[in-house]
Amino acid sequence: MLRFVVSLCLAVLCMAPARAQNAGAEDLVRRMAAEVTAQVRKNPELVNSPAQLAALVEQRLAPRFDFNRVTQMAMGRNWPRASGGEQGQVVAEFSKLLVRTYSNALASLRDLDVQVRDSRSNSGSDVTVRTQMIGRAKPVAIDYTLSSASGGWRVYDVTVEGVSLITAYRDEFNSIVGSSGVPGLIAALKQKNAK
Amino acid sequence: MIRSVRSAVIAAVFFAGSSLSCALAQSPAPHNDPLEPVNRGFFALNEALDTVALKPIATIWNTVLPKPVRMGVANVFGNLDDVFIGANHLLQGRGRDAMTDFSRVLINSTVGIAGLIDVASTQNLQKGEGDFGQTLGVWGAEPGFYLVLPLMGPSSARDTIGRAARVASDPRTYMVDAWSYGLIGLEFVQIKADNVDNANLIDTSSLDKYAFTRNLYLQRRAAIVQSGREAAGAR
Repeated sequence: MLRFVVSLCLAVLCMAPARAQNAGAEDLVRRMAAEVTAQVRKNPELVNSPAQLAALVEQRLAPRFDFNRVTQMAMGRNWPRASGGEQGQVVAEFSKLLVRTYSNALASLRDLDVQVRDSRSNSGSDVTVRTQMIGRAKPVAIDYTLSSASGGWRVYDVTVEGVSLITAYRDEFNSIVGSSGVPGLIAALKQKNAK
Repeated sequence: MIRSVRSAVIAAVFFAGSSLSCALAQSPAPHNDPLEPVNRGFFALNEALDTVALKPIATIWNTVLPKPVRMGVANVFGNLDDVFIGANHLLQGRGRDAMTDFSRVLINSTVGIAGLIDVASTQNLQKGEGDFGQTLGVWGAEPGFYLVLPLMGPSSARDTIGRAARVASDPRTYMVDAWSYGLIGLEFVQIKADNVDNANLIDTSSLDKYAFTRNLYLQRRAAIVQSGREAAGAR
């Protein structure tokens, strides 16, 4: 009996900080969604201006993304093989590409709403916040994975209907680094961003 | 050997309460593509067809037809598809989901005027997700190698069998007249038109479009099979 009570207390003690931790991550996702949705709706012609959309993403979303970690995970085993300078360049170019990808996706927020469903703690200090976009015939499931490693929550992966962004890029990065090395990857990213 | 290690890693991560995306992110690139040179050839062919014919048709479709008409066409085909979705949910042992699917068909075919209006979705009967490739996956079949089919696009060994089964069980396959060909073509255009935005998004975000598409397809299919397994286990 005593053992049961003790383990129950331990379980509760372990759960309490975890829940508080998740609340912070959930709040951040909710706030990001609300801010961007409000901007897009206040300013409907925004949708037709890629430059303005990119500025919005740069301003409101980019600071909450851990581009360093995103790039590191997308490069996988090739990350340690790149020099410090190369790593910096890949991060810079890849974040530009991601900002553009996001800007394109934002237009849909005109008639869709983001709802936070729940969250769960992963190994380490990571939390996955599950959301859905509603407004079309079928809700779209979007999960944000955040970590609080360096003070404050930052997003490092987005999973749309089971498709992880990092995993999607890893395959591509791998094949490019395999055929033309890290400089080839930097060149490919630059070329894509210049278009 | 490698496969058993990988499933052990995935199982361990899963039990630790981690997300599937995390499990995927930690395992090596999940693709099996021995036919890559051939696949790339068909991929290029499909891309060319897309650019010269399908995308222009889809764009015209989207601009010329008013939204209610486009939705009506999508709903009629969606209503037919609900029959197949329900059958697959039954095969997966998901009786309750199958009930939802067949109720949708019943309501949409009557109140929804032969499927033109998706009334069921407004009555809290949500459209399900199901196909024979998913059923094979729920039964334990691995996706096998990646395949790019001419015209149809990304697939896998398992999903190609699933697609063949779908074609074989479609009444249109056995009506050899202009109407059935027209209907198949119409559905094809409608699906293309529905996905123009997604295709554009892949264009802007990918470096190697072939590798990117392959990865998106395999991840998406794994998620669909996983959700089928979960639903079958929780029935």
